[in-house]
Amino acid sequence: MAGVAGVADVRGPVVFLRWLAARQKRLIATAGFFGSAWMAGLTVMPHLLSQAIDRGLAAHRPGTLAWWAGAVLGLGAASAGLGIMRHRSMTKIRLQVALRVADLIIAHATRLGAALPRSVAAGEVVTIGIGDVWRVGRAFMAVGPGVGSLCGYAVVAVLVWRISPMLAAVVLAGVPTVILAVTPLLRRLQATGQRYRERQGDLASRLVDTLAGLRVLSGLGGKQAHADRFRRESAGLRDEGYRVAEATSWLGALTRGLPGVFLAVVTWLAARSAAAGGITVGELVAVYAYTAILTVPVFLLVESGAEMMRGVVAARRVTAFLGLPAPDPSGVSGPPAAATLHDPESGVSVPPRTLAALATARTADARAVLDRLSRFGATDATWGGIRVDAVAADDLRPRVLMADDDAAVFAGALREVIAGRADADEPAVRRAVWAAAAGDVGAGDLSAGVERDGRNLSGGQRQRVRLARALYADPEVLLATEPTSAVDAHTEAAIAQRLAQARAGRATLVATSSPVLLDRADVVHYLVDGRVAASGTHRRLLADEPGYRDLVTRTAGEPA
Amino acid sequence: MSVLPVAGRAQVRRAAWSLVRADRRSAAGTIGLNALAAVAGLGGPWLLGRIIDTVTGGTGETGRIDLLAAGVLACAAAQVLFARHGVRLGHRMGERAAARIREGLLDRALAMPAAVVERVPPGDLAARGTTDVDTVATALRDILPEIFMGVVQIAFLVAAVMLIDPLLGLVALLGFGGIGVVTRWYLRRARDAYLSEGAADSAVAEEIGATTAGARTVEALCLQERRLAAGRAAIAVNRASRLRTLALRTRFFPGVEFSYSVPVAAVLLVGGMRYFHGEITLGALGAILLYLRQLVGPLDTILIWIEQVQRSAAAFARIEGLAAVPAPGRPCPAPPRDDRIEVRGARYAYPGGPDVLHGIDLTVRPGERLALVGLSGAGKSTLGRLLAGIDRPHAGTVTVGGVPVGDLPPETLRRQVVLVTQEHHVFRETLRENLMSPAPDGELRKALATVGADWAGDLDADLGEHPPDGGQAQQLALARVLLADPHTVILDEATALLDPSTARTAERALGAVLTDRTVIAIAHRLQTAHDADRVAVMDAGRIVEIGAHDDLLRRDGPYAALWRTWHGS
Repeated sequence: MAGVAGVADVRGPVVFLRWLAARQKRLIATAGFFGSAWMAGLTVMPHLLSQAIDRGLAAHRPGTLAWWAGAVLGLGAASAGLGIMRHRSMTKIRLQVALRVADLIIAHATRLGAALPRSVAAGEVVTIGIGDVWRVGRAFMAVGPGVGSLCGYAVVAVLVWRISPMLAAVVLAGVPTVILAVTPLLRRLQATGQRYRERQGDLASRLVDTLAGLRVLSGLGGKQAHADRFRRESAGLRDEGYRVAEATSWLGALTRGLPGVFLAVVTWLAARSAAAGGITVGELVAVYAYTAILTVPVFLLVESGAEMMRGVVAARRVTAFLGLPAPDPSGVSGPPAAATLHDPESGVSVPPRTLAALATARTADARAVLDRLSRFGATDATWGGIRVDAVAADDLRPRVLMADDDAAVFAGALREVIAGRADADEPAVRRAVWAAAAGDVGAGDLSAGVERDGRNLSGGQRQRVRLARALYADPEVLLATEPTSAVDAHTEAAIAQRLAQARAGRATLVATSSPVLLDRADVVHYLVDGRVAASGTHRRLLADEPGYRDLVTRTAGEPA
Repeated sequence: MSVLPVAGRAQVRRAAWSLVRADRRSAAGTIGLNALAAVAGLGGPWLLGRIIDTVTGGTGETGRIDLLAAGVLACAAAQVLFARHGVRLGHRMGERAAARIREGLLDRALAMPAAVVERVPPGDLAARGTTDVDTVATALRDILPEIFMGVVQIAFLVAAVMLIDPLLGLVALLGFGGIGVVTRWYLRRARDAYLSEGAADSAVAEEIGATTAGARTVEALCLQERRLAAGRAAIAVNRASRLRTLALRTRFFPGVEFSYSVPVAAVLLVGGMRYFHGEITLGALGAILLYLRQLVGPLDTILIWIEQVQRSAAAFARIEGLAAVPAPGRPCPAPPRDDRIEVRGARYAYPGGPDVLHGIDLTVRPGERLALVGLSGAGKSTLGRLLAGIDRPHAGTVTVGGVPVGDLPPETLRRQVVLVTQEHHVFRETLRENLMSPAPDGELRKALATVGADWAGDLDADLGEHPPDGGQAQQLALARVLLADPHTVILDEATALLDPSTARTAERALGAVLTDRTVIAIAHRLQTAHDADRVAVMDAGRIVEIGAHDDLLRRDGPYAALWRTWHGS
């Protein structure tokens, strides 16, 4: 990831924003320039109008009037050009920042690996990745419109200064006063807005929950209770919305209206000054026009400040995620050649070139053994005498593969889904598909699309695609949980036979309760309370171990 | 999967109008307050003109100037107050309308017939209930009040200009014509562009969601590079889609902004000529120019939001589309005579597909245990859904006590047949509410005890906060069946996903629930068949064999072959 994003400084939200800004210097300079130039253009328009009136109209000179009218059009065109350049550069800054942060988040998520779900919920990462990144992007509003507004404010101050220093002082003091007046409202709005969004989120998940259970509701009843509860909570959200309306309506009206009040005060002072002969009537009109323009920078400054506040909050969430420590991938090399995996806690061993099976009444126990052997979580397991938790990730993972029965399936063409990290080799993919008896998936077309989590496949198809993927990876040691729990008897028999064939010469450990698979295994470990109680072939255990017989025959449907 | 309908224009207009009508007084109040704010806004420039007149009059009456300036101040303050109350009223009205819309959506979803519920893509319904409802709510609450205020302001400004000089007003309106052209151009393209921008956002969300939810798999299969590449591809698409909308705005915004100066220049020229001919005063011309400048604000507001209004109209059309889902409209049949279920020549096809059941004949004897077995895709689950009255055959009949199962109203149906699948939805509610029965607490507790749910102590426990595990969810589902008390239960692979020890508990619970009921068990594993009174073997949409386990083994047909494969011999 170094090439795209560099190493982000995530010590804190503000540091992070500064780090992002340092990566956009040119765009930020461009946005600042166009923001200021556009704002300056706004202040020129009243000047042109007053000139057109004074020199063209009042002087009865049609030619001059036409010239100034042309200037108005010209300034309109220039202002439109500057405005869009400002908008373009701002959009690009937002885009660059947001997508750079999204990139950082995805990269960090892949680095965190299995540690991720323990530290943070998947939904939260998505919220950060598509919501907060844009809020961080919008925090940069200050660099374009923000800078431009300050610039416009300064220009107006200078123009008014030339007419009357006293009025300029009032203008200079007025703008910060207006902004200070609305800031507390802004904070209140953020607090109520936050509460509103939380309730809105709760209500939405309530709705999704009810919709997801529609089937149960239409089968068993209880619709009215759900409708009533939703109505109650919906009313609660509405009332919270009323509270937002109190704050938001004041903020909107004051941000736009206070400059008007301020304008009235300046006009009053200017009018008295004009009446006393301090300034001319033309100057009075000019002061009015200039001050009126201040509405725009005041509005933009308030907005920039609000976006900055929101941006810092979002950046805090982003840095909290990016700051999660990733597991250290380094370590020693694994055994040079195929070696035995051993879990001392349960006593399970997986020697090379063996198809072993794990049978237990509690699936969770079998999972724990497989997790330890494949180093998901704390482990004392060894591999050819080397502790697996000492082995480097890029040596362990490709050689020892843990294939969960609920493993994620990512979207893509069937061939890519099965090929996993490798490029798809057509004959090898077909072999894996055959071994997993998955020929019916996508009607045999390897280009068929698989949706995320295999949503467009049946439960049995999903399971066989997972198996095909694990077989294609062809690891030295394959650890699999319940690879056939969702397939029919006929298919299960085929898989059992082909699995043994596909894994010939390699080590495999399957946690299963299927008699067909158990019967194929070279050795079956019968686990009681998480420890090996007996090992041997399926038939021997059936004969010698009453507990094992109970476990397996229940599944087989024979009288116990 | 059929797709939910989308409402047509006329239907959307009717629905929008009924929302306004439902809140008539607030709507009128909003109009009134915004109009007052607009009038107050007109006062400032007009009073400034009077001040100029007073100053140029040279009388130097400070008192009069003070009065007029105080008027300017009063106008500004009045505008703030009126605008504030106008927006507040509009926001509250929008909030009420949003509540009505989301509540209406749920009501309609709840009213959908079972067959439609089964067929609707769950994602589509959820998206309409969340994203679309939010889009419309935001529009109603935040955007429409602003736009509304803008429209009122524009109306008053235009009226003011027209009052001063109709001819110049006309010139100004023609000058603004360019905005119409640019806006039409933009809106024709904007919708698709912003829709694909939204789709690109969802794609990034999908990638991040898939990578984080599947983090363990990513690590196990060393998919880091692949996932990063997939994420970056989605980001690249996102960037491209946003640059496309930016390209649209790059033409739209400058077009609009330049258009603002056209009427000003035109009024200057035409008004200048009229002034030279003595047809208008300088003050009047100045006022018109000021009003034209004031038009920029509200026009900007409207144009910035117009695309989003268009988008929320589309979202509203999707929400209103639920109204077009056909109502159940079941006939009211006589109650079933007895508990006998009969299938006669039933054929069934999924919408637009070929027949998947080809003339099924089956009589389920009250009190018997019937196992439906066969390979995946043989039509077992489809037959189960016909038996449960969720779907109806397009030919032939499925009846209980002589009445078509599919015609029974839900309240009657659930006393007859209930289908239990692997899907045990647990609502994020209390345990009591999850049992979905009005029965008194004592009976609820008894039902829970019968299914062996010893974990369930407190009926008020929130299952949203402490979700039950697979086995507990299963027990919950069985307790629901017990409380619904049907005479026939259809089990579709109900315990297949549980691990052996849990399955054993679940089967005990099942045994308790199934006592004295007719049971139809669908299974691809054969242990269920062994224990059943009769086994029906299905293949390619037909029942190819039916009889007791031992008889079928003796007959040495398809069932015997299946049984042998299962035993791996």
